[in-house]
Amino acid sequence: MSPTATAFDIKSASLDLLALLLKTADADTLNAALEARFAVTESPEPFVLDLEALPEPEALDLGRLLPMFARRGVRVVALRHPDEAFAALARRYGLAFAPASSARLAEPAAPAAVEPPRAPEPPVANTLIVDKPVRAGQQIYARGGDLVVLSMVSAGAELIADGSIHVYSHLRGRALAGARGNTAARIFTLAMEAELLSIAGVYRTIEQALPASIAGRPTQVYLENERLVMSALGD
Amino acid sequence: MARIIVVTSGKGGVGKTTTSASFASGLALRGHKTVVIDFDVGLRNLDLIMGCERRVVYDLINVVNQEASLNQALIKDKHCDNLFVLPASQTRDKDALTEDGVERVLKDLADMGFDYIVCDSPAGIEKGALMALHFADEALIVTNPEVSSVRDSDRILGILASKSRRAVNGAEPVKEHLLITRYAPGRVDKGEMLSVDDVKEILRVPLLGVVPESQTVLQASNAGTPAIHMNGSDVSEAYKDVVARFLGEDRPMRFLDAPKVGLLKRLFGG
Repeated sequence: MSPTATAFDIKSASLDLLALLLKTADADTLNAALEARFAVTESPEPFVLDLEALPEPEALDLGRLLPMFARRGVRVVALRHPDEAFAALARRYGLAFAPASSARLAEPAAPAAVEPPRAPEPPVANTLIVDKPVRAGQQIYARGGDLVVLSMVSAGAELIADGSIHVYSHLRGRALAGARGNTAARIFTLAMEAELLSIAGVYRTIEQALPASIAGRPTQVYLENERLVMSALGD
Repeated sequence: MARIIVVTSGKGGVGKTTTSASFASGLALRGHKTVVIDFDVGLRNLDLIMGCERRVVYDLINVVNQEASLNQALIKDKHCDNLFVLPASQTRDKDALTEDGVERVLKDLADMGFDYIVCDSPAGIEKGALMALHFADEALIVTNPEVSSVRDSDRILGILASKSRRAVNGAEPVKEHLLITRYAPGRVDKGEMLSVDDVKEILRVPLLGVVPESQTVLQASNAGTPAIHMNGSDVSEAYKDVVARFLGEDRPMRFLDAPKVGLLKRLFGG
């Protein structure tokens, strides 16, 4: 695997923030209020600045307010307002933007007590799993997702997926991943003996014998600079 | 309950009809009431191999179309008392086969107390072949040790797994058996033919038997006698093994190695 692929992972995370609900846009009034509440400068805490309660949020001078907050240890990381138009304002100051209403947070947890907390619906994975041999003349298409084949794929069979293709046996037929143009799709197999490989329309017929490190061995296929690259899997 | 067995291959000329005749005869010889049906409508051959071509009056299509009863169309085999042949029509084509009609014929045969119904499939993947395999419980995949035959068998296996009634209904899949015919070990040793292991590796279907290439098959066909009755020949022995294994007996594979050629024979030619 290339080093760039292991440089980072993306995972979902949630962060508890304090919200600062502004009641006025007037910088001087705010400064006085901050002085009263945050007399001692503590280590900075992340805050989300909630503008929903503000009568005239347009009048807000963030250029002046943000350094003022920072001096008091209020590190503003995001803006919140139901109107999406404020996203531009947030972007200008390098802040994240949250359109969610603050009402949800302000509400007590009473309804939750009545209704038992439900696990969130798992996201739908459009993975097609095939556990039977794919024989000559058969064609399998995984629309909008990955295709996983647990049995062998014979010569003359055709696998197509909008995502990646995984074959946990011999791949002797054709494999076309990224059928709708996903150039990040890959093809994986435990025994590479394919007739034709394609990713996002870049294809290669395999007429010559493959190098010994790949032929009949665990292999992955991916696109690099619009060229198909086959590399041995594992060590 | 009658078991329906299709003998199929995709490719022509690999030995489906020879196998159907010998396999059905073998089941009958073992005491099972058996019927063998020729699905090759328009190119009927099974009656020739079984040596009953002059006794054909009514055929499968007549029964499908309810122009004749099963009792009128079934021909009793001349070698085995409990074997019957249901011949194909020579004057019609495969479009005369209807799914409902074939289903009714098979059901009526089962009601008549047959243990095994052997369906001799035509070559190809068109209607005749589809009708022959549609109602199958088990399938004998007849393959020659040669790439195009193996590829076509793979295709038929795919059709069995997707278009048979068992597949369509989501029932237990059709039980598949691999039968390699016209096997010549000497040519395998020279690399001119795929080996048994090569074929097994490509198709991944349990091997039921290997029938060697032999002149006996041609002699038997011309004589109108299923090859299994040519006692003492390797083909007859091989088919008897196939039937025994099908019925659950454990028999070692034979005829996998080239016969040793003696020194004198090597010097003076065989």
